[in-house]
Amino acid sequence: MTAIWLIFALMTGLAVLALLWPMSRRPALAGLPEGEARIATETGFYRDQLREIDRDAARGLLAAPEAEAARAEAARRLLRASREPGRNPGAVGEPALRRRRAASAFALSTVPLVALLVYGIYGSPDLPAQPQAERLAHARSAGNDLAAAVTQIEAHLAKAPEDGRGWAVLAPVYLRVGRVEDAIKAYENSLRILGDDATRLADYGEALTAAGDGVVSSKARDAFERALKQDPKAVKPQFYLARAAEQDGDRAQARSRYAAMEAAAPPDAPWLPMVRDSLARLDGTAPAAAAPGKGPGMSEEQRGMIRGMVEGLAQRLAEKGGSPEEWGRLVRSYMVLGDRPKAEATLAQARAALGSDAGKLAPVEDVAQELGLGAAKAAP
Amino acid sequence: MLIEVGHYALALALALSLTQMVMPIWASRTGDPVLRSVTVPAALATFLCIAFSFGALTYAHVTSDFSVQNVVENSHSMKPLIYKISGVWGNHEGSMMLWVLILALFGAVVALARNSVPPTLRANTLGVQAAITAVFLLFILITSNPFTRLNPAPIEGRDLNPLLQDPGLAIHPPLLYLGYVGFSITFAFAIAALIEGRIDAAWARAVRPWTLAAWCFLTVGIAMGSYWAYYELGWGGWWFWDPVENASLMPWLAGTALVHSTVVMEKRDALKVWTVLLAILTFSLSLLGTFLVRSGVLTSVHTFATDPTRGTFILGILVLFIGGSLALYAWRAPTLRQGGLFAPISREGALVMNNLFLSAACATVLVGTLYPLALESLTGEKISVGAPFFNLTFVPLAVPLLLVVPFGQTLAWKRGDLAAASQRLFVGFAIALVVALVAIAVTWGGPVGAPLGIGLGAYLILGAVLEIVTRARGKTFGLSLRRAAGLPRSAWGTALAHAGVGVTVIGIAAQAWSVEALATLPRGGELRAGPYVAVLEGVLPRTGPNYTETVAHLTIREGGVPVGVLEPGKRFYASRNMSVSEAGLLTIGVSQVYASVGETGTDGRVGIRLYYKPLVLLIWLGAVVMALGGGLSLTDRRFRVGAPALKPAPRDAAGPVPLHSVPAE
Amino acid sequence: MTRRRRRSVLIVVCGAVLAVALGLVLSAMRDTIVFFRSPTEVASQKVAPGTRFRLGGLVEAGSLKREADGHVEFAVTDTGSTVPVRYRGLLPDLFREGQGVVTEGVLQADGTFRADTVLAKHDETYMPREVADALKAQGRWQEGGAAAQGAPAQGQAGPVSRTATQ
Repeated sequence: MTAIWLIFALMTGLAVLALLWPMSRRPALAGLPEGEARIATETGFYRDQLREIDRDAARGLLAAPEAEAARAEAARRLLRASREPGRNPGAVGEPALRRRRAASAFALSTVPLVALLVYGIYGSPDLPAQPQAERLAHARSAGNDLAAAVTQIEAHLAKAPEDGRGWAVLAPVYLRVGRVEDAIKAYENSLRILGDDATRLADYGEALTAAGDGVVSSKARDAFERALKQDPKAVKPQFYLARAAEQDGDRAQARSRYAAMEAAAPPDAPWLPMVRDSLARLDGTAPAAAAPGKGPGMSEEQRGMIRGMVEGLAQRLAEKGGSPEEWGRLVRSYMVLGDRPKAEATLAQARAALGSDAGKLAPVEDVAQELGLGAAKAAP
Repeated sequence: MLIEVGHYALALALALSLTQMVMPIWASRTGDPVLRSVTVPAALATFLCIAFSFGALTYAHVTSDFSVQNVVENSHSMKPLIYKISGVWGNHEGSMMLWVLILALFGAVVALARNSVPPTLRANTLGVQAAITAVFLLFILITSNPFTRLNPAPIEGRDLNPLLQDPGLAIHPPLLYLGYVGFSITFAFAIAALIEGRIDAAWARAVRPWTLAAWCFLTVGIAMGSYWAYYELGWGGWWFWDPVENASLMPWLAGTALVHSTVVMEKRDALKVWTVLLAILTFSLSLLGTFLVRSGVLTSVHTFATDPTRGTFILGILVLFIGGSLALYAWRAPTLRQGGLFAPISREGALVMNNLFLSAACATVLVGTLYPLALESLTGEKISVGAPFFNLTFVPLAVPLLLVVPFGQTLAWKRGDLAAASQRLFVGFAIALVVALVAIAVTWGGPVGAPLGIGLGAYLILGAVLEIVTRARGKTFGLSLRRAAGLPRSAWGTALAHAGVGVTVIGIAAQAWSVEALATLPRGGELRAGPYVAVLEGVLPRTGPNYTETVAHLTIREGGVPVGVLEPGKRFYASRNMSVSEAGLLTIGVSQVYASVGETGTDGRVGIRLYYKPLVLLIWLGAVVMALGGGLSLTDRRFRVGAPALKPAPRDAAGPVPLHSVPAE
Repeated sequence: MTRRRRRSVLIVVCGAVLAVALGLVLSAMRDTIVFFRSPTEVASQKVAPGTRFRLGGLVEAGSLKREADGHVEFAVTDTGSTVPVRYRGLLPDLFREGQGVVTEGVLQADGTFRADTVLAKHDETYMPREVADALKAQGRWQEGGAAAQGAPAQGQAGPVSRTATQ
């Protein structure tokens, strides 16, 4: 990546040269035109004006006495303009040379400094351009044709937006590459066109949950419930509904759901440990960190994404404050991610931020109590 | 790599404009003209850097480089090429890039205007211009950086809002910005004059072409935006008194006043102090417009969710430039040499009237736009100030102004003869009165305001025609023709622009006769609006490149004879889960029949709204004529004498500017 | 005319025009300003029938009824109170149940709101600011979803869909 720095150096050099160029000219020559140029422009202007007055007068637009007066006025100004001395005392001599050297030094130092400083803060010199055509070619040649496939399906859907199967194929791919909003829309389209389907509804609910910082929103819950109606044995909706109950503070319900799943599970089910962890967490026998926001099939990537969202919320709340509900949501999110210390810290922050207003603080305290946080007020 | 080079070019442009800002100050402290002359290459280099940077961003959009966040958020690889390009400025970051590009462009052209602007004035002007450029570059780099990269790059972009995928919106913002930013040069000239403590007729002449060019662009830009709102929003209205529209109208009003007051200053060396203030205010209003649009402080139908840090930053810029320049004005203006006075009845007097009414009208718009904001921040009470307010305040101020226009044209400088002027205008006045009376008779029982407005418009057009006729009249017809051809182009330009105002006034007045009809129609159902009857032939589905559309097929009949077909539709963009109405327009002469379609009911009935809009196209045609008049003035010999580089250069660089055609659909 | 008289004529004329402008603004302020009210404010402040104002909130789910003659009825709610709205005209493209809406019109004696303008914005995540504030007052609005979308569209571009009847 030295080429890019060479280019930067070249650009900067050219820019500085352009600035230095007028200063390098011989001072005696450079000094003269200033005064003369001004006088020339101005006298030219007033001469022109005199001619115009003559024209107007000839056309009868200006009465003779008025024209005479205007002529006199313009002539007076013409005289004044040509008399005014072109003052440039500083144009010649030793101090001028020294000053010019100082100015050159100023340009030589400021321009590269400012440009590099600003670019250093905001630029990413190591990142190559990735035009789409190039990336597609690369993806194809590397045998990784996921990107190409997505583009193809998207192109197809742009032409035939009512192809529900296309949306159904695209949605999970979107979710995998982290385009959660697009995934949700794709799921919505496929559900709209193809109708309810247990797996799709469950995936849709999962996408909604991923978008909601890991919190099972009412919309997601609705999707899971519909999925369960289609297939009462489906695992994913059961698990998320249990989690929803847990997040709502309905421990009894959550426990019964997890327990039912555990009871019905084949012994080698890959998700069984997760259910057991959840049960243990509910019973308080295992540290919460043991089950950090793992849903069935929730990938490492997704968890990273959720974490990113939570941190975004945290940053915003820390900087600008927010509603009690938002604070509550953040506390809950940390618990969902299994980060108890951070949840405690956030609770303290919320208490500080919302002050002593009990009414305002109530929603946060509710969350804290329900999650067993904030020792002082958490007595059951 | 090109993208990073573009990013670096932007940083370099900041460094260059800082140098360009410092050098004239240094020069004026030491009196060394060489330091001053550094501003010229600096301005050119700044422009080249920003242009390169803008080019790099455009390249990223065109090649769908999704490692650039700005491209991801506003583009899609499947988008047609024209919207990939217009998408560059179809978003916040890109539009700010366009803003500084135009700013630097104007700076570069001033730098090249070697012979028409005195060197000291030019250097100081470039210094002020550089200050504005530097601050906006900082704003871009810090809060709205279009070169923010994403790694790894997403596979596909989120696409541009379907509403913005419209040819009208591809050219409306650049035109509007050329207008907004063009006034920055006038502002820079005014500040330079205040710093120098020297202002005279030569200053006015140096400033005028810039003001006029900016004014032309702003006129067309506003007309374009208005026409877009008319055909795209399905409401049939052409002006909403929306805060963002007001934000562009205020600089236009102040700019119109400025165009006229610089004439007085150039010709008569009067109104100096006022002109300087007006130049400051015009650009301040442009900045205010930017603030209102970009910060989201106003609940405008135009303002989308915005980032508060941006709002704060722009507010800072606003306070810095408006507060700073007004403080400088208060300090330095008293030291400027006062110009001469003149008789109230004279062309100068009429132009003072023009300035007075325009400023008062501008002030009422300002109050109406900012009052809700002030009230809410003071009392928490939310109000909306809409069309009724502006109709009651703006219109009464605009009408006397329009009545004065033909008088102003015909009065002589210094001391005019009102009686003689009235005599010259008598024919026009009489014909206009007849036109109004005929209009009243023909539409007996209809609204009275419309015929009066038509009469006013006719009076304005006739006034412009009479002005040319009086000035050209010779002994024989041939001589008159020769004299007319010999008239300075600025005279023709003035007449043309004033006639354009008349055309627009007629178009606006005629809207009182527009007819609206609304019904849910079954197939074969009929709906009447004015002389036209629409028959619903059927409702068809249709598939576009990235949407599905429901189109209502309407036949328009007049007196039983079919005159055309309208196909209003409702488009559904599945990728964005968003539907957009497309109005159907049928142009008959300069009138239009306009239909939009609503929901389709369960029984197959379709909601149809039909308008008959008589003479509606005149509203925008008038604006185009106004801008053409301004453009014609710009080519006047006076602006070219000794100033070969000062041809209306901004226009050359603006690319294909359709001054004469608003897109038909 | 002397210099002084010319100057005073100028000043008098300027003063007169500015006074007229000021008068126009003040009188228009009294008559044409429209206040924004949330359904809760309508319920609690007992807005007098016949008052013209802007009503904003969410379109209540399941409340939309269309009639054959082009009239539509729906309810605007801020989850605290609900006001029934009657309107004749085409609804804007983004008018949806459960979404934010601002309507302008007159409150009738029977408590329904007769709207002549319905505003909704062309952006699926848009929430009119007044509505957001009103809902915040009710504790029902969470910023997250809308703010995260915040890719501001081009300034001159955002449109309104507005429908009105005479």
